[in-house]
Amino acid sequence: MRRALLLSAVILTALLLQTTVLADVRLLGAKPELMYLLTIVFAFLEGPASGAVTGFVGGMAQDFLLDEPKGITALTLTLLGYGIGLIRQYVVGPSPVFPVVLVAGGTFVGVLFNGVVRFLLGQFDVTVLYQLRVAALSAVYNAILTPLLFPVLRRAAEVSRSRRVSRW
Amino acid sequence: MSLPTRARSTRLLVVTLVSISLVTITLDYRQGESGLLAEAGDVALTVMSPLQEAVSRVTHPIGNFFSTLVRLPSIRRENVDLADRLAGLESQMATTTADAARLAELEALLQLKESFGKKVETTGAQVIANGASNFDWTVTIDKGSSDGIAVDMPVVASAGLVGHVTRVAPDSAVIQLLLDPDSSVAGRLDLSRKTGLLTGEGDQDLRMGLVDTTTAVEPGEQVVTAGYKVPGAAQGLYPPGILIGSVSRVLPDDAALEKYVTVRPAVDFSALDVVLVVLSDGSG
Repeated sequence: MRRALLLSAVILTALLLQTTVLADVRLLGAKPELMYLLTIVFAFLEGPASGAVTGFVGGMAQDFLLDEPKGITALTLTLLGYGIGLIRQYVVGPSPVFPVVLVAGGTFVGVLFNGVVRFLLGQFDVTVLYQLRVAALSAVYNAILTPLLFPVLRRAAEVSRSRRVSRW
Repeated sequence: MSLPTRARSTRLLVVTLVSISLVTITLDYRQGESGLLAEAGDVALTVMSPLQEAVSRVTHPIGNFFSTLVRLPSIRRENVDLADRLAGLESQMATTTADAARLAELEALLQLKESFGKKVETTGAQVIANGASNFDWTVTIDKGSSDGIAVDMPVVASAGLVGHVTRVAPDSAVIQLLLDPDSSVAGRLDLSRKTGLLTGEGDQDLRMGLVDTTTAVEPGEQVVTAGYKVPGAAQGLYPPGILIGSVSRVLPDDAALEKYVTVRPAVDFSALDVVLVVLSDGSG
């Protein structure tokens, strides 16, 4: 329950920041994607199951609360969270810059996947070059934000874990 | 839970979540704007809007800061463009203002020309240069002997007398201004009708000499050209009745033989633009 509440609070905060503070920060036609960053970081810290759940809930929230085509972001972030969680399992002793690289790569692939799905559904009629540019720029912006937000999200993940009772 | 079991349950979870997402996409796609999902989206938006508004109110300055930061290059470009446009508009405005002033000057000159009557022959000219020396109070106009201009012809502006022609070339002429210390013109006080000789004092007001001490002169009184003519002997350069200026100072000096009177020229010589050269005063 505590975990669900905390996750909801984090997702809501990310959505609010995405639509307020970052709403005008559109450089070269793209802006950071906080929900992608959040999903990737949680998947990195908590594993594929948590990554998938965070992605699904966050994606669904973004789709409904921001009146976007329903289900597409949820599908994207579910797969992204799961995929990042799996990758994390195979990396031993990651370097401090690994989360940054993971966020950049994950955001690029995720935004591109999202664009492709929208394109296939006829909701996003733009060129491949444009999609690549937006995906690349979003990846760069998310990578820049990662060192700032990673410690905060890691703390939130730690707090959300159920505390173990140790007996001697 | 063993690792394979855990992995299986994770896969099952992901498959379930993906399936729900796909069903949602399909439903949303089929129902369009009027379906249940769209209504749920509307409700969610209604809930979200006040929160967004509240957060936006608090974080607006931060958002503005970042927005300005990322838009800095485009803002700079915009600034340069706007500065260029402003300079263009200012230039256009200055041209318009100058054109309006010129038009007013030309209209006034036309009126002056008409006031001379049909017998007086004149030609308009543009001032193209000022005297190069610090000791010459002259201007050059863009018309000369090919336009019928000759030495000693009077020159007037809409406000009053300017001076007379001292040198002539085919397409230009030099005008000696009233201000020049070598210039002298016979003037008449408007009220007393007494005459005197006005000489230039450079940057200072004109000095009106030969005014009898008994003559009543008041500051502000207008002075016009006297225009004398001695049959068979001499004739003044200027036609009578052209405004020269107004009395600026009268120094009381009972012991002197003549009154000390200064006259401020009616013409603003620093803004001289178009003038009228009197080719013939019609007296034959």
